[in-house]
Order: sequence, then structure tokens, then C-alpha cells
Amino acid sequence: MQYSRLARQIRKIVGKDAVLDQPEDLMLYEYDGGVDRGTPDIICFPQTTEHVSKIMQLATKAGVPIVPRGAGTGLSGGSIARKGGIVLGFSRMSKILEIDIANQRAIVQPGVVNLDLTHAVESQGFYFAPDPSSQKACTIGGNVAENSGGPHTLANGVTVNHVTGLEVVLPDGRIVEFGSKANDACGYDLTGFFVGSEGTLGIATKITVRLTKLPEAVATMLAVFNTIDDAANSVVAITAASITPAALEMLDGWTLRTVEAATPAGYPLDSAAVLLIELEGLREAVDENADIVRNICMKVGAREVRLAANEAERQRLWSGRKNAFGAVGRISPSYYVQDGVIPRTRIPETLRHIDSVSKKYNLQIGNIFHAGDGNLHPLILFDPRDADQTARTIAAGREILEFCVSVGGSITGEHGVGMEKLNEMCVMFSEDDIEVMTRLRNVFNPKSILNPQKVLPTTRSCRETNAGDHPSLHGPVNASAPATSAHGAD
Amino acid sequence: MPADLALAPAHSIADEMKSIVGAANLVGPPVERRNKKRNRKDRRLGTRDEAPLGSYAIDEVVPVAVVSPGSEEEIAAILRIASERDYVVVPTGGMTKQNIGYVPDRIDILLRMNRFNKVEHYDAGDLTFGAGAGMTISDVQQTLAANSQMLPLDPMLPDRATVGGVLAANAHGPMKSGFGGARDYCIGVHFVTADGKIAKGGGRVVKNVAGYDMMKLMIGSFGTLGVITSANFKVFPAPLQTRTFVCAFASLAEAIAFRDRVLASPLQPMCVEINSPRAQEYLAAPAAPRDPDHHHAPVRLENYSSWNVLVRASGSDAVLNRYRQELGAAVTREIAAADEKQLWTRISNDEKQLWTRISNFEPTVIDRHRNGMVINVSVSIADVQSALQAAEDSAIEHNLLCASIGRITAGALVIAFMPLAVDPPSAMQFANAASSLRGRLPRDASAHVLRCPKESKSRFDVWGTTPTDLEMMRSLRASMDPHGILNRGRFLA
Ligand SMILES: Cc1cc2nc3c(=O)[nH]c(=O)nc-3n(C[C@H](O)[C@H](O)[C@H](O)COP(=O)(O)OP(=O)(O)OC[C@H]3O[C@@H](n4cnc5c(N)ncnc54)[C@H](O)[C@@H]3O)c2cc1C
Ligand SMILES: Cc1cc2nc3c(=O)[nH]c(=O)nc-3n(C[C@H](O)[C@H](O)[C@H](O)COP(=O)(O)OP(=O)(O)OC[C@H]3O[C@@H](n4cnc5c(N)ncnc54)[C@H](O)[C@@H]3O)c2cc1C
Repeated sequence: MQYSRLARQIRKIVGKDAVLDQPEDLMLYEYDGGVDRGTPDIICFPQTTEHVSKIMQLATKAGVPIVPRGAGTGLSGGSIARKGGIVLGFSRMSKILEIDIANQRAIVQPGVVNLDLTHAVESQGFYFAPDPSSQKACTIGGNVAENSGGPHTLANGVTVNHVTGLEVVLPDGRIVEFGSKANDACGYDLTGFFVGSEGTLGIATKITVRLTKLPEAVATMLAVFNTIDDAANSVVAITAASITPAALEMLDGWTLRTVEAATPAGYPLDSAAVLLIELEGLREAVDENADIVRNICMKVGAREVRLAANEAERQRLWSGRKNAFGAVGRISPSYYVQDGVIPRTRIPETLRHIDSVSKKYNLQIGNIFHAGDGNLHPLILFDPRDADQTARTIAAGREILEFCVSVGGSITGEHGVGMEKLNEMCVMFSEDDIEVMTRLRNVFNPKSILNPQKVLPTTRSCRETNAGDHPSLHGPVNASAPATSAHGAD
Repeated sequence: MPADLALAPAHSIADEMKSIVGAANLVGPPVERRNKKRNRKDRRLGTRDEAPLGSYAIDEVVPVAVVSPGSEEEIAAILRIASERDYVVVPTGGMTKQNIGYVPDRIDILLRMNRFNKVEHYDAGDLTFGAGAGMTISDVQQTLAANSQMLPLDPMLPDRATVGGVLAANAHGPMKSGFGGARDYCIGVHFVTADGKIAKGGGRVVKNVAGYDMMKLMIGSFGTLGVITSANFKVFPAPLQTRTFVCAFASLAEAIAFRDRVLASPLQPMCVEINSPRAQEYLAAPAAPRDPDHHHAPVRLENYSSWNVLVRASGSDAVLNRYRQELGAAVTREIAAADEKQLWTRISNDEKQLWTRISNFEPTVIDRHRNGMVINVSVSIADVQSALQAAEDSAIEHNLLCASIGRITAGALVIAFMPLAVDPPSAMQFANAASSLRGRLPRDASAHVLRCPKESKSRFDVWGTTPTDLEMMRSLRASMDPHGILNRGRFLA
């Protein structure tokens, strides 16, 4: 078959030890952090931009799909080879090429792990602001592709706010530059447009990122509530009081109890919800705002508000939040994470709606999310071996996302559309919207050999979806792998 | 286009447009129609908000028809006809930035967005806001001020500049230092493509990665990818009180060393702006235009020899005290808003007025010198000093005067070249000054001309170079506007 020939050709480019094509190796790359699966035919690990360019040319000539893959922690199936083909891994393109403190920039290869960059610049008083909870593993290439956020992106912005330049390889092998170390380049902002394109426009081979100064002062607080409405209303009140915390996270009662069982962080077991609030900046401003936030929470009905007295206490409060997904993974065979966004003022009613969905489908749903920007992460627990439960899970997830859109929100705040939410795109965007985006994709990736069948649904599948026919319940739109074969999201 | 050829389509363009938007929303050619010769009085009665076509000229190119559509559907219909018939369309807001770019090939339809001037949604509790593309920045700020909120967008001429125009030109003001640019807080955009598709990107929530980021593509596209009809923003609480700390330095190098201290400090100012010695003359008191072809010494003869860095801070008294402590002896003057309690002895003047003048630097220069040139320079932070020095040197080399301001912690500079008090400059002089400035900038810098005499535009490249792949830009433009009807000849021609 053509793949064995392709594998030979790719070995000539990247070296013998940088290509995998045996079934037992391929199996390891069937999934990412989400629920979808697909088996690639070849996995290879380029070491230079030129390698990437040559492989792209080969793939284009052969007409086979190419799927870029960072650490595979994505939650929407972005790095899954749903039509087979070549997976490009970046574990050998993981160098920090330049740290330029005077310009507050670094230039990195795509395989650099998010937290490693922060570690490399911390001693000079800087860090890389986007901090997905997966930051110990996920790559900056993946962050760029997904436009990832994190608990601390509320005040500082998501990945796109921290990328000013890119070197990109296009499917035809052309190597192009977008932007630079400067904030703006004259002409179209192709850097900004590329970020969040989920590996469907090109491969990022060099990334110029902004480095952010470490704050002088940090205050971390835990606000404890007897009702979930009070917690939600506190988020609304904090926003309305013109305070933008660095982080504003919420855990509901079920989730915080599950978390406490795995990682004792000191969340009161009998509470209905907690808010984890962090303020950063100038010492004077942090002190004042901490008082204001405490007063707001108490006024809205918090049972207590604790302020971490030292770094150890701060770390302990965060440990629960950071290990939450793992904690849920301990008690359920699998879970399905949603990523809908709502206007912050609608949090109370949305949480009530999620509760009703949970009852309707008879599923346990935990809520842990970036409350400050209205980015929900309902965790729907299910057993993938139970077909009926799996189907109910998907239906429940879709109902939640549709509710988010109905109150003026979005189907995804940071995890991306990938293959998982392809059909939900039609809930948010019209056929014309999607046609225009497809046109733009075709400029970069005309034959869609690069990460095919991601982000943009076809007009036909949109019509089917909107007619109430959810393809993922009946089988994949057009894929070689089942769209919903379940897998733990951890 | 020869005048005799222009006449025939002129009638039909106006008629076609009238059938879409109605006579009241059209300014057509003032030519006699068959026997019904319209006199002045008739025309005045016919349409109200109507200026003669000539007043809409861009670089002396007069549009054939000026159209004010009232809906996205009408825009789509106009653009479909234009695509079919090869009419060149120029979308406009307040016409404050129409001197940017090359001289238009021709203007068949000037598409005014003035009827798209409404608030689309405003959720104050959520700090999100959406406005029609034709809403002026002043109206936006006024709406938000009712809830003590603001958009950190402070471009020139806010009474005329519109949301759509400011986004399309990626215009910025001093607040870019503290809040970033439109790309950092524009969260949704609606637009119509050249072939008449009504489309959108983003949404109304502050965090959203569904679909491609159409906002980024539209911001800075100078109307060549589509007609923006509305945009949504993340808005910000208005500061309770602000102060401006003026720090004067004997040299550019000292000013930049001070900036580096601010950057290294924990301070988070709203604005960090530099004023070159000569810029202060224009900011001091925007004088009435006099003989516009020559430089005049300022009326109040002051000795503008320092490089000033202006640090604008907001926050409580404690926070402002911290600024005083950190900035220390560098502060020569502190300015508060006139309506605020005066805390400190060296306070003077009205702070808000000062920042408005900084925003309006470009029109102030051009009011005084019809033949002035203003350039937008974007460089990395570490190259700010050499870029400002390059501007001074290039001016001297080509017998011009130079005044510079800019956001020195963001690398966004505005540089003006003005004629000396001798003969009016030749067109080539400006072209050469721009070239010599660009020649001194690092490779990854951009320097595009915001304004210069029309005669100079044909002598050099007003856009300059960019690190971003030009071929890619051209292909994107072609995919969104296959016939090149939007702003033909002005950008990526
Ligand atoms: C426990 C857990 C917690 C998480 N928490 C967060 C969170 O807080 N916030 C958040 O935003 N996300 C979170 N995620 C999701 C995920 O970690 C992020 O999306 C991350 O950015 C993915 O990076 P990755 O290296 O794993 O990329 P992958 O999953 O390997 O790939 C993601 C996408 O990027 C593309 N891609 C990878 N490299 C390149 C490249 N060089 N050029 C072009 N495209 C490329 C892939 O094709 C794919 O479409 C979490 C995931 C897990 C498992
Ligand atoms: C947004 C945008 C729109 C554009 N639109 C058009 C268009 O409509 N039509 C068109 O023909 N081209 C356009 N261009 C293309 C672009 O201007 C030229 O391709 C590019 O400037 C190179 O052209 P050049 O080599 O002829 O001129 P350059 O040599 O680049 O510019 C002319 C002068 O500037 C000096 N110079 C400029 N930059 C530098 C530098 N970095 N280092 C040293 N010297 C420099 C040169 O010394 C020379 O004297 C556009 C570019 C951008 C960014």
C-alpha cells in the first residue's frame, strides 16, 4: 500500500528512528484527551522546519491527510487522524530558540511544553501567561492551534493575546512568516487569524510569544457558599463591581466533595459551591480589591471567605482545582467535558438548566469552571461500555451547548471545535458564515489534506444537524473511526 | 477614467443604487436628467443630509454616487451589483482616515455606514457591548459612560471616527499601552463580503474559540475583505480617578531609560506616551491654521527641548501614591482631571484635555501644515529608541521638521514630517524622507503612511514592507473579493 512507500520516503527525510508505522505504535496515537478516536497510518517526528516542509510536499503529492499533534491533551479530537494518514509529532521540535527579555518576547518551537517556557524565564521575573490546567504536558503549538486559555487568562487574555509572530508551513510546503516581535505588523493580522485555527491552516514551526511580568502581589481566596445561586450571584456581583480577578473559578458541591476525597484542599464538604478567587498586581490594588471581593461575597451570602496566608496555603487551595479532572476520573469510568460559554450574568440560570438536564437524562454532571469569563466545564459522567448511557451523554451535552448559544453564548471557550463539536458549529453559525470560513481555509489548505474534517462542517451535515439528526449518534459524518467511541478525558 | 466615459455609467449607477436604498439615501451626480432640469432649490428639498459629491472626494477623486444603505441586505445587494458590473466601492465611516493608502483608481460607489449607528446590545453587568459600524467612538463612549464603563479605544477625532473605520484601519490612541489594541478586546464582528454574503465571526461572550477568528482578519484590513456592519466588544470599568505624571528628560536616551524602569516596575499604567521636543509645540495649544504650507514658530515662545514621557495612572489614592513613590524624582509635573479633587501641589491643567490632544496629534499637525506627512510606525519595544532617532535623522537629511509621539511600551509610534519655514516641500522630499526612515528601521518593523500630500503618493510606496507574507495576503483578498471591487488600488493593489 502507498503508506509503506510514504514511510520509506519520510524516513529518508527525518531519519529511521523518527518514523513509526507498526500497529502497536499507531494504536498509541488513536486518541487525544477527548472522546473520539481514529488510527493514523504513519507517525513521524520532524526536527526542522525543512523536514515539515518536505513531508507536507510528499503528503500533498500523495493526497494523504496530515494531522499535527502536540502532546495530545486536546479535548475535542483536534489531533486525531480521523481519515488516517500521517501524524506529525513535535516532540523533537521542542527547543526554546530565543529569550529576549528586553522585548518581552521568546521564540519557541511548537513542541515546547507550556510550563517549561515559564520555568525558563521565571528567574528573570517573567512567565508565559496562558496556563491551561494541562500546562505540565501540553505544547505551545497545541496552545496556538486551540487558542487555549486557563484559570489565569481572565485578566491576562488567552493565547492569541500573547502571540505576535509565527513561522508557518503550508500544505504545499511553502514556509511563510506572519508578524514579528512587534505588536502590529502592517497588513492583515494573519498571526491572529492563525491562532485558534486548530491545525487546519498550516503547521506552526516557530512561535513568537509575549512574556508577561510576574505580579508583585497575589491574593488567593476561597469563598464558601451554602447555595449554588449565591456563588453564581457573587460572580455576577464581582464583575459588576468592575473588578477583574486574575482567576475566578467555581466548583459545585458534588465536584468539590469528589475533589476533596482525592486531594484534600480544604474545601468544606457540606458546602454547595466554592469560588476560588485570585487577585494579582500592584500590592496596594490587590489589598483593596481583596477587601472589596470579600465584602461582595459576604453580602451576597457567602458562609465564609478565607484568604490564603502564605504560599503553602495558596498552593493547597489550588491543588484541588488543578487535580479536579483526575479526581473525577477516579470515580467514573469516563466523563465528557463540555466547554460552553455564557454571558457571566446568566450563570445562575444556566447552572439551574444543567441541573435539569442532569435529571432529565439521569446522569451525574459535575460543574467546575472558569466562572469569571462564563466558560463552563460541565463534566458528564458515563460508562462508555453502556451504549444507552453514552447516547444520553451526548444528547445531554448537546442540550447544554444549545442552551449556552440560546442565551448569547458559544459552544466552546477554549477546547476548540475539533471533530467533537463539528455539528454544533451549525447551531452558532449560518451556512454563509461557514462558507466564508471555508473559503478562507481553502486559501491556506485548498484540498483539506491538513487536518481534514475538523472545525468546519459541510453544508450538508449542517442541514442534517439542524433537522435534528445528530450524526454522531448514528455514526460518523464521513470518518473512518466512530465519532463517539468513548475514552476517558484525562 | 476619462470624463466622457464616466458620464454614461454615472446615471445608471445612481439609478441602480436608488432602487436599492431609495432616493433619500443617495447623493447622485448633479447632472441634468432628460428634461427635468433640477435647480438648486429642488435638490435641497430632495434630500436632507446631503452634501455635494465633491465634499466626499478622496485624494481629489470624486465618487460617482454616495450611498447610505440601511441594512445588511441592502449592502449585500449593492455589492452584488458592484461585483457584477465592476463598480469600485469605497466603504466609509467618518472619513477621518481616507488619506491612508494609494490614491483610489476611481470611486463608483462611496458606501456610507452612517445609518448603522445604533447600539446593537449592551449588557453592562457583563461588560459587553455591540455597536453598528457607523456609530461614532464618542457616541460609544457616551453610552458606556452612563454605566461608568469605557472602551479603551481613543483614536483621533472621536466625534467623527466610527467603529467600522477604526477597526478597518486598526487605529489606536494612547490607551493602547495599557489595554492592547482592538484585536485584544473586539469579540465579534458582522460583515458583508464583496460578493454579497452576510457573515459573522466570534460572538458576544468574552471567551470564544468557535470557528475562525474573523475579528483578527477584519481589523486592519482597510475595507478590502468586506464591509464591517457591526462589532462586539469587551468593555472596561471607567477609572474612578486618573493622574498624569509628566517626566521631562534632556535626551531621548534618558527618556527611554526611564521607560525601561517603568517596564521593570510593578506599575501597570493606562498610558505611557512619549512626546518629542517638537511634538510638545503641537500638543500645547492646537493653534488655528495659518499659512498651511510653512512652519511657524509657536505663538507662546516656550523652550521645547525636553523629551517628555507621560505616565497615566488610575486607581485609589494609595495606588497613585505608589506611582509617586516609584516614579520618584523623574516627575516634573502632575496633572489631574479638572473635575477631580486636587491632591497634590504641583497639579495643574486638565488631564483629559491633554490626552485628547495627544489622540488628535495627526489632525493638529495637518491643520497647521496642509503639506505634512504622518507615519504610523510599529516596532518591537527594544527598537523604539532607534526608530525615534531615525525619524529625527531622516527629517534633517531631507530638510523637514520632525515631531513624534507614541506608545513606547507597546512600540506604536506616530511620526510627523513637516515643511520648514522656507519653500513648500517637493513631492519627492516626503517620499525620500519616508524611504530614509524605513531604511533605518529593523527588518521586522512596519512604517505605513497615514497621511501625505497626494502628489507624493505616486512617488513611493505608502505601505512599506511587512514581515507578514504578502502573497498570502493577496490570496486572501482574492478569496474574499475576487473582482477587487473594494478599495481598488489603495491597498494590496
Ligand atoms: C486535564 C486537562 C486539562 C485541560 N485544561 C485546559 C485548560 O484549562 N484550558 C484549555 O484551553 N485547554 C485545556 N485542556 C485542553 C488541552 O490541553 C489544550 O487544548 C492544549 O492546548 C492542547 O495542547 P497539545 O499540545 O496537547 O495539543 P494536541 O492535543 O496534540 O493538539 C491540539 C490541536 O493542535 C493542533 N496542533 C498541534 N501542534 C500544532 C502545530 N505545531 N501547528 C498547527 N497545529 C498544531 C492539532 O492538530 C490539534 O488540532 C486540558 C486538557 C486536559 C487533558
Ligand atoms: C499592507 C500592504 C499593502 C500593500 N499594498 C501594495 C499595493 O497596493 N501595491 C503595491 O505595489 N505594493 C503593495 N504593497 C507591497 C509592498 O509595499 C512592497 O512589495 C514592498 O514594500 C517591497 O517593495 P519595493 O521593494 O518595491 O519597495 P521598497 O524598497 O520596500 O520601498 C521603497 C523604499 O523604502 C525603503 N525601505 C522600505 N522598507 C525598508 C526596509 N525595511 N529596510 C530598508 N529599506 C526599506 C527602501 O529603501 C526604498 O527606498 C503592500 C504592502 C503592505 C504591507
